[in-house]
Amino acid sequence: MHGSPETAAPVVPPAVVAAANGADVELRAITMDFPGHRALDAVSAGFRFDEVHGLIGENGAGKSTFVNVLGGSLVPSGGEVRVAGRAVTLRSPRDAWAHGIAHVSQEGSLVPGFTGAANVLLGDEPVLFGALLRPAALLERANVLLNHWFPEVDIPLDRPVETLSVADQKVLEIVRALRGDVRLLILDEPTATLQRREKAQLWQIIRSLPGRGVGVVLISHFLSEIKALSQRITVLRDGVQVGTVAADDVSETQLVDLMLRRDAGDGERATPIRTASRAFGTTVLEATDWRTGAVRVPHFALRRGEIVGLIGLTGAGHFEFARSLYTREGDTTGRIDIDGETIGAPGIRTLQRRGVAFVPDRRMENALFADGSVTANLAMVHPEFATRGLGVVLRRGQEKREVARIVDQLGIRISGHEQSVSHLSGGNKQKVSLGKWLYGAGERYRVLILIEPTEGVDIGAKQEIYAHVRRLAARGAGVLIVSSDLLEIEQLTDRVVPFVNGRDAAPIAHDEYSEANFIAAIAGEAP
Amino acid sequence: MSEQTESTASATHQASSDPERLRTLAMKYSTLVVLILMFAGFALFVDRFMTVFNLTNILQQISILTIVGCGLTFGFAAREIDLSVGYTVGLAGILVPLLLVGGTPLPLALCAGLAAGLVVGLCNALLVTRVGIPSLIATLATGSILFGANFLLTGGRAIYGGLPDTFLHLGQGRLLGLPMLAWFMAGTVVVSWFVMERTVFGRYVYAVGGNRKAAELSGVRIVLYRTAALTLVSVFAVIAGTLLAARLGSGQPNAGERYLLDGLATVFIGMTMFRPGTATILGTLCGALFIGVINNGLNLIGLDTYVQNIVKGVIILVAVAVVSRSTRLNLL
Repeated sequence: MHGSPETAAPVVPPAVVAAANGADVELRAITMDFPGHRALDAVSAGFRFDEVHGLIGENGAGKSTFVNVLGGSLVPSGGEVRVAGRAVTLRSPRDAWAHGIAHVSQEGSLVPGFTGAANVLLGDEPVLFGALLRPAALLERANVLLNHWFPEVDIPLDRPVETLSVADQKVLEIVRALRGDVRLLILDEPTATLQRREKAQLWQIIRSLPGRGVGVVLISHFLSEIKALSQRITVLRDGVQVGTVAADDVSETQLVDLMLRRDAGDGERATPIRTASRAFGTTVLEATDWRTGAVRVPHFALRRGEIVGLIGLTGAGHFEFARSLYTREGDTTGRIDIDGETIGAPGIRTLQRRGVAFVPDRRMENALFADGSVTANLAMVHPEFATRGLGVVLRRGQEKREVARIVDQLGIRISGHEQSVSHLSGGNKQKVSLGKWLYGAGERYRVLILIEPTEGVDIGAKQEIYAHVRRLAARGAGVLIVSSDLLEIEQLTDRVVPFVNGRDAAPIAHDEYSEANFIAAIAGEAP
Repeated sequence: MSEQTESTASATHQASSDPERLRTLAMKYSTLVVLILMFAGFALFVDRFMTVFNLTNILQQISILTIVGCGLTFGFAAREIDLSVGYTVGLAGILVPLLLVGGTPLPLALCAGLAAGLVVGLCNALLVTRVGIPSLIATLATGSILFGANFLLTGGRAIYGGLPDTFLHLGQGRLLGLPMLAWFMAGTVVVSWFVMERTVFGRYVYAVGGNRKAAELSGVRIVLYRTAALTLVSVFAVIAGTLLAARLGSGQPNAGERYLLDGLATVFIGMTMFRPGTATILGTLCGALFIGVINNGLNLIGLDTYVQNIVKGVIILVAVAVVSRSTRLNLL
């Protein structure tokens, strides 16, 4: 791309089929504005009661917002919902249910401690005199309901739900949603927490529904699953509808392409692309036999002055890998070497002392404290820099000068050092999140791990952050960047390691960079 | 989700910068204005309020409360609450007199009181940070234990007589025309303010309370600072308890109880001021003044203590409602 010869098979965007032909439930030009950002921009889709309709997109693409509108949890700022050709207003999930639309959310909505039967009939229990529960009737009716829908499954409904398998719990949630006259069922990541074996049963159930007059709207991060189960697939990207395609007409690579490819000319292309093949220094960070959760990385090395990017679909393991290098949380195992020296007891504080800095994603949750001032946030990592008296008492003057230096260096726009960070823009917040590791740090950080470094950051601030990351690399730091923004990866990194299904795939060298190559790698196509 | 709330915050800021600024300004100083109005009201309409004697009295009354409040402020800054604080005050208030009556030298008795505070605080902290019980529940339980222990120590009786004059002087004497207690309060406020606002320790405590996850990922030893904060609550409480016994001239097993509610009230009132949503030493000091002026004024008017309790309850509700409207106040 960008005029360079294509290095992978060209990805042809599949024909966008006309949506909503004979749709039973139709969303027309749905727009959803949240204060400060537009989550959905005129998205339309039609759903039928005799098909499974897949809905895909990366995190933040707007899938959840879209199904929340369909399920009545959110009232859209613009557009309309039509059921059987008539415009309706869905103000609550109850409204949606009355129109035959039910939503099974990702998190699970069963009450632990209640039996399966009590959960299935929650809110609709058989009672005596309007008050007394009838346990026997409850169990019987729940069993009838379960058998009516899914005669092939066998779930003991008299047991507390938490003793059931995760797959069975999902089935119960579906049965509960199907109570009443439901014609369209929204399933949000129903298989996300399931083992491979358990998925088969749920797939069977999802497939059976359209034949019985219940349409399914399926959200899943597993593209193979989406392709196997859906008849049509709607793709969202950044709140905009990319298209609705027939599942048989597209390959997984084409789906990834639709999900990730950015239209050229959105103003970001103009910046020069990083020059490749600079000389790098010695290996500064090395991970061997790394395992965290289901992620396995046999060997990973980062050299001084090098910027390495990790890419993959959500759930591919690149986020987990990068994060675990620093936090070593949960069941993480593996050896980590810094500058050739094996770290004995790796953990946040040890790694930090050895010069590893970590700028996490979701900055308000992981990096900043909202009620704190710009100064308090910037000085969170090294407050001892500006002190006298055994590193205990703060020197306000020195602190002020160091804050001013960082603010100036990163171009953070603030009204005062004591301003609370909660009122800064996304870009300025992210700069504070990065600035924490520069304040009072001198040259001590030799490895920088950045997760989604420009999430929710405007274009101008993005370029300033890139410039600073490049400066740090030029100074000899090794930089590891995990990002779902392929353009960012392309502009900023020297080498890319794609992740597929919890494994690192063959790295992509700088001279092989192209969006098509990235997309093929993310989709798991061997180069 | 966080991204969403974040953009909300920045959007409202950009959209309505001026009304927003006005609102924060009003938020920061409204409590102070109420305090001044209340003071002026009592001064105008209650005869005996504006006398040197009465004002000194108020100062004396809020001294011990302020010391408890300063301790609680450390806890709140780290987002930990201590519901056992009243009984910790009570513990010191009987332990020190008990030792003194038994003939223990004063310095040793005072040290024993401090040691008791350290032990209680460390136990609370251990339950919270190591066992993982939320501080609200852990300290509710330890408070009950202390309550029982206090009565066991004294057999439910007050400890009278035989207290050395030097000890009583701490709570009843005067220095340079002001009550000794006021000097203790001033010292506590200055030291606490300095520690919270001007030291690395204070920075870390606020960071841990402000966003524990962020502090942890920044390499801050969160267990250490949560432990320290909870321990300081108890240490300040035993100092307060010791002074209380000196002031009363006796050890009363249930004298400390009221410092739980009043102490929390001072911190909550303080959280509406200066840095809304954050517990600060100066805020707590104002909170103590607030409580002191109300108690005193209502006393002079002749309302009995039950009415005062109702008034205080309402004030706490208002303060917490104001704070939680503007910030994320979650203590559990």
